Amino acid sequence: MTELALPAPRRARRAARQRSGLDLRGRMVVGAGVAVAVYLIAAPLAMLLVTAFRGPAEFMPFEAGARWTLANVIEVYTDPALYERVIPDTLVFVAGSVALSFTIGFGLAWLVERTDLPGREVWFTLILFPFLVPTIVLGIAWIFLMGPKAGWLNLALRALLGGEGEGPINVFTMGGLIVCQALASVPFVFILLIAALRTMNPALEEASGASGASPVTTFRRVTVPVLLPGILAPFILVCLVTLEQFELPSIIGVPAKVNIFSYRILYELNPAGGLPNYGGAAAVALPFLALGIALLALYNLAVRRGERFVTVTGKAYVQRRLPLGRWRVPALIFAGAYVVIGALLPAAILVWASLLGYVPPSLSALREASLAAYGRLLSDPTFWLAVRNTLVVAGASALIISLLGGLVGWTLLRLSFPGRTLLDFFSFVSIGIPSVIAGLAVMLLYLTLPIGIYGTFMILIVAYSYRLAVSTRLAKAGLMQLHRELEEASAASGARWTSTQLRVVLPLLSAPLFSSFVLLFIVGVREFTLPLILHSPDNVVLSVLLWKLFQNGDAPQAAALATVIIVLVVPVVALARRGLMRAEG
Amino acid sequence: MLKVANLVKAFPGNYGPITVIDRISFAIPDGLCFALLGPSGCGKTTTLRCVAGLETASSGRIEIGGTVVSDPEAGIFVPVHERPIGMVFQSYAIWPHLDVFENVAYPLRVQRPRPGKAAIRDKVMEVLRLVGMEAAADRPAPLLSGGQQQRVALARAIVRQPALLLLDEPLSNLDARLREAMRDELAEMIDRVGITALYVTHDQAEAFVLARRMAVMDRGRIVQEGAPRDLYARPGTPFIAGFLGAANLLRGKAEPCQGRLRIALANANGQALELSGARLSGDDVEVMIRPEDIDLVASPERDRQNTLNGLVTHVHFMGSQVECGIDIGGTQVRALAKPSDPITEGQPVALRIDPARCAVFPVSTPE
Repeated sequence: MTELALPAPRRARRAARQRSGLDLRGRMVVGAGVAVAVYLIAAPLAMLLVTAFRGPAEFMPFEAGARWTLANVIEVYTDPALYERVIPDTLVFVAGSVALSFTIGFGLAWLVERTDLPGREVWFTLILFPFLVPTIVLGIAWIFLMGPKAGWLNLALRALLGGEGEGPINVFTMGGLIVCQALASVPFVFILLIAALRTMNPALEEASGASGASPVTTFRRVTVPVLLPGILAPFILVCLVTLEQFELPSIIGVPAKVNIFSYRILYELNPAGGLPNYGGAAAVALPFLALGIALLALYNLAVRRGERFVTVTGKAYVQRRLPLGRWRVPALIFAGAYVVIGALLPAAILVWASLLGYVPPSLSALREASLAAYGRLLSDPTFWLAVRNTLVVAGASALIISLLGGLVGWTLLRLSFPGRTLLDFFSFVSIGIPSVIAGLAVMLLYLTLPIGIYGTFMILIVAYSYRLAVSTRLAKAGLMQLHRELEEASAASGARWTSTQLRVVLPLLSAPLFSSFVLLFIVGVREFTLPLILHSPDNVVLSVLLWKLFQNGDAPQAAALATVIIVLVVPVVALARRGLMRAEG
Repeated sequence: MLKVANLVKAFPGNYGPITVIDRISFAIPDGLCFALLGPSGCGKTTTLRCVAGLETASSGRIEIGGTVVSDPEAGIFVPVHERPIGMVFQSYAIWPHLDVFENVAYPLRVQRPRPGKAAIRDKVMEVLRLVGMEAAADRPAPLLSGGQQQRVALARAIVRQPALLLLDEPLSNLDARLREAMRDELAEMIDRVGITALYVTHDQAEAFVLARRMAVMDRGRIVQEGAPRDLYARPGTPFIAGFLGAANLLRGKAEPCQGRLRIALANANGQALELSGARLSGDDVEVMIRPEDIDLVASPERDRQNTLNGLVTHVHFMGSQVECGIDIGGTQVRALAKPSDPITEGQPVALRIDPARCAVFPVSTPE
């Protein structure tokens, strides 16, 4: 009777809840988890939105004396520099580096995944390397390599071609910035495209070969057009990720006088003279936040279209590889060139500079090699503080996000409740929030909230934990493979909801949750933007410490720290490869 | 013309190399359709892919139209796109980004020197007409049905008039009814083009209909080669006999008897068969008789040569015919009857056997 008296949607919701065996304790756990997840994303963004309309500039948003105002917005959007410099520079930077990284990344992914390129495993690992090292490390290495005066490549080229003084390569230009950003983005593109290539029926390429087309013609006329719909989603994602880049725009872009929006926000916070302009920073952030979320919406659209296309053509295929034949040598040169510039030369020059400082390479210089920079680094308590902070913050945030993501994923898949669509939105919107904006938002929130975590490593854990999208997606994918009956059997055996989750669901989801933990741990170790914006003497992390050493002009010690970071990262490669493989599958 | 000589393909395995193709040789004269038939995993598809150049052989020689295209010992390997072949894939591999016309035109468009626009158009329309798809030339590939994809795949494979057409289980993705219709149509189209073709399948009916000659493969080897009718009537081993169609295999002991071979059947109430030939005297043998070669008589017939008596144990009505199971004294024999024949379960019957249509195998045969 009462059952029928309820309106249909509520009946369905109750049915879903009853099916899932959600008791009171379970509802409390789910409710708390969802609330925390939403809070971690929504609260800082709300604060950002509010701050954009609070002023005047010399007050904190909710300090006595602050009031509602449009002054920030008017000031920022009437500044011609925004239209003449920031927006065009940002667009050129994003378009250029995405185009270049996609070209290189696509070529590499195709060679490694779909052809008989020798040494696939080795290539895979080497190409992954720049993905695991903080971008700031690579940026410093590329400056050492391509700096106009003393860059190794320039020294070599000048010796070869003759010439004095500077050049021929100058990394401190828009072109240099685009090339470096593209080199840094290639591994990400590579991973995304490997996954796309794997769902393609290899017979489509074989049929082209059997029709008399060479591997290059096949690539151009079959592989690329067939993959195009499936590549659209990764393409948008890479645009999004490039838009939020901060490392290279700050260490290469600033000397090059290239004005990217992310650096513009930092500038508002640390203007040349005067107090931080929080309202101005927030006002700059808003349209870029909107752009990020718009790109994200496009991305979701593209994913859905791509899936439709894939169902037409494919399932999982036994992978057969296209013989390269006489294209093998050019292919090896192409892959080798990327690996040398993207991984090997940066690693080599950092080791060299850590031992010898900023000395051009020669055998005679080798006698001067000294471990002094390492000695200074290891005896510096700040270094050890940074190591501790990096590991604790990356580990804790990865754990929090993985568990929250699992919970949110379960809630989205197994329950039906009002606001489910909204929760779904919050679960993936983090991808669309540039980290410089996330950092700004978290900063504003905890400057205002008097809970005393500002300036501690706790604020970093909270800030990092907004990246919920990866873990939610992995958990959802894992849960879809888990038959609901496994949970029902536990309930039928007398287990309450919490026991079922702990004893059945969590162990069975351990593989995707572990993958998400590894991925997020790597992201956390690489993180630079958030800890830079939120940094204080107490919560310095390795990437920020490296940046400081580099800005202070201490090249040997910066190189020594960069080398240490690389050494720390290398063992993670094996772990990461497993994690990534799972994430793709 | 295709010549394959001593082809070997081995993959590295955890416990030493795994030989997928073990020294196989065959030749296809010009204009003939040749089928490789065998159970899954027998190496037939790998053989075809070696011929195509999609797989590299470990050793042995492959010759297409008089040109050696693969001979690892001599360091020869012509890549797939330089071999004069056309191929129909199991999944058809119709490119989803091109329409029907462009799919078929592709081999011509990548040809060097490239034929003129008009020549391409004429040629493509000609083969589309041949496969009955000229009306659908502008249709996008994802909108094609299975049978249509099949036709487009064939058109694409023959459009550049290759020296050799390769077909890799082209019908296995179709449902049963369509498969039969397409099989007959494909046979007719291949006949009409008069192309040299290598056809790989696990379905013996496809091989019978399509091929003038066929080879049966098992575990990486060709176990028998010949014309379809010959293989069916005189299979070399019980495995081949069973693979090519329904077969009764009756155990017995063979001994010579007045220039003939007398086979005392085991578990048959002491009944015997007398066949011509005396090769296998004294051995344990298996006699193969196909159900359709047995004359089923509705009453027992004692003392008639090559006639076995037994009781009907089951009758399966199958529409065009009735399949009967007959117990001849502990051994089951399958025979066919017409639906109009008055056969019922439990009835004593006689089985008249034509000795010319029996095959005898020694039991020691490994298969």
